[in-house]
Amino acid sequence: MTTVVAPDEGLVRAAVDLVWSTMLFATVEPWPSGLDAALADGVRATIELQGDWNGRLALTCPAGLAGEIAGAMIGTAAADLSAEDVHDALGEVVNVVGGTVKGALGGELALGLPDVRPCAADEATDEATDGGFVLGWNGAPIHVQVLAGRP
Amino acid sequence: MRALIVDDSRVMRRIVGKLLEEVGYDVVEAGDGAEAVAVLEGSAELPVLACVDWNMPVMDGLTFVGEVRRRPEWRSVTLMMVTTESEQEQIVRALAAGAHEYLIKPFTGEALLEKLDLLGLLPARTGSGA
Amino acid sequence: MSISTTSFTFVRELVRAESAIVLEPGKEYLVEARLVPLARRGGHAGVDAYVADLAARRNPADLKLVVEALTTNETSWFRDGDPFTALRESVFPALARNRPSRTIRVWAAACSSGQEPYSILMTAQDTPELAGWKIDMLATDLSQEMLDRARAGQYSQLEVNRGLPATTLVRHFRRDGLNWKIDPALAAQVQFRQLNLVRPFPPMGRFDVVFLRNVLIYFDLATKRDILHRVRQVMAPDGHLFLGAAEMTMGVDDAWERVPAGRSSVYRIREEQRTCVP
Repeated sequence: MTTVVAPDEGLVRAAVDLVWSTMLFATVEPWPSGLDAALADGVRATIELQGDWNGRLALTCPAGLAGEIAGAMIGTAAADLSAEDVHDALGEVVNVVGGTVKGALGGELALGLPDVRPCAADEATDEATDGGFVLGWNGAPIHVQVLAGRP
Repeated sequence: MRALIVDDSRVMRRIVGKLLEEVGYDVVEAGDGAEAVAVLEGSAELPVLACVDWNMPVMDGLTFVGEVRRRPEWRSVTLMMVTTESEQEQIVRALAAGAHEYLIKPFTGEALLEKLDLLGLLPARTGSGA
Repeated sequence: MSISTTSFTFVRELVRAESAIVLEPGKEYLVEARLVPLARRGGHAGVDAYVADLAARRNPADLKLVVEALTTNETSWFRDGDPFTALRESVFPALARNRPSRTIRVWAAACSSGQEPYSILMTAQDTPELAGWKIDMLATDLSQEMLDRARAGQYSQLEVNRGLPATTLVRHFRRDGLNWKIDPALAAQVQFRQLNLVRPFPPMGRFDVVFLRNVLIYFDLATKRDILHRVRQVMAPDGHLFLGAAEMTMGVDDAWERVPAGRSSVYRIREEQRTCVP
């Protein structure tokens, strides 16, 4: 009998690190605490886990950074990619982060399909209440949230 | 040689497709299991390899694998799951359903090619021109 | 876009000059896979652009990175495939006919993080002729850190993706958080010990199979010769030695002969030399 607890910051961070190093050939760093991490025009990708633990993982970043993430994955310049490609790439990132977290948690869990949409400025900035954290890559913030419960 | 990539992410299809094309495959794509079934039904030349994601809309990869194994005329297709599902139980389920190999996302290009090598499906590369 | 012949040739010559490792035609994919991360980090459009830039600037630090990327003591399971097929299909069955003790002694002489000795044990389990046999496995390495890793038998997701068939993964490993842990029963079959190949070997009996792959390349000719001579002394007269694909005994220690084994080859002590070994 496996007891499944909510994914903690260490596990989610490790999954994000793994995805960045393997799929983007790059390294994420913690976002410096003194820097403003607010988002103007963000893209938010979420994936749902259901079963022994119910909740979602969310990655939110500026639209420009989402383009750079997609570019690094495909190995092409961000300017050559459509908005659809960019959303798709961020969805795949959150899918693989979610799958990695799910596999490490053990227990009975099912992974949903990624959901990617533009997000309002204030949606991603409630980490304090959600046990989230902010990472940085290419000089821009990536908000990572672990959101318990059904949407 | 032809390979079928079944993944709902077009970016993933593009990444896997590029790797396969570089070792000499012709690549066809499908965005879910049902589309992949339609591709196989419409194929004059069956792919020797299908790389199959697990979580997809309409028809998931596990169902697709079962569907391919149910059809004797598609027996020659080698099935490799390429998915972020990574629990031991899930790998066992996929193998039991008829998948031949299993590559866990995230993966490096080298790991994909090593899996092809294991399956005897890594074509010898000829000089690719300067 | 795949790597051009020009780029491949440049990298092959560079690696050969710096490490004596020969990248045969057909290894283009390896070169490409290893260099893509370097090319991306350097902001190049692709491997060819990266190699062209390298060739033009010849910056020693950058060239060293390339050599390292291609010669790093890599840690695939069943590395190179063919030697393990040869073990299962010819070497183990031959030994099974000639060992009434039903025990085979194996030495993995540069075991790194353990993939090689574990791959050998898994291969033995897949050899029908060895059902019920005991494999006495010694795994050594110069690095205590590597030995500790090997003994722990814990591997990352990326490591188990490398060359390990899925059926083998689910049979011999258990998920452990983000990692995979090898079956403790398998790990318990291996005796890990620190050993420096350059020094005289401690007493360790005779081995039926020795894996000494991709390690001689790091030594000069005299040291290679000395190691191969001492390996003969701990080898059963009808034993089998596996070297790396780029290594050979010819011109180094000619008491060994190369014998085809499947698509691979093994080295055996020449008949006339077998009695001369002290």
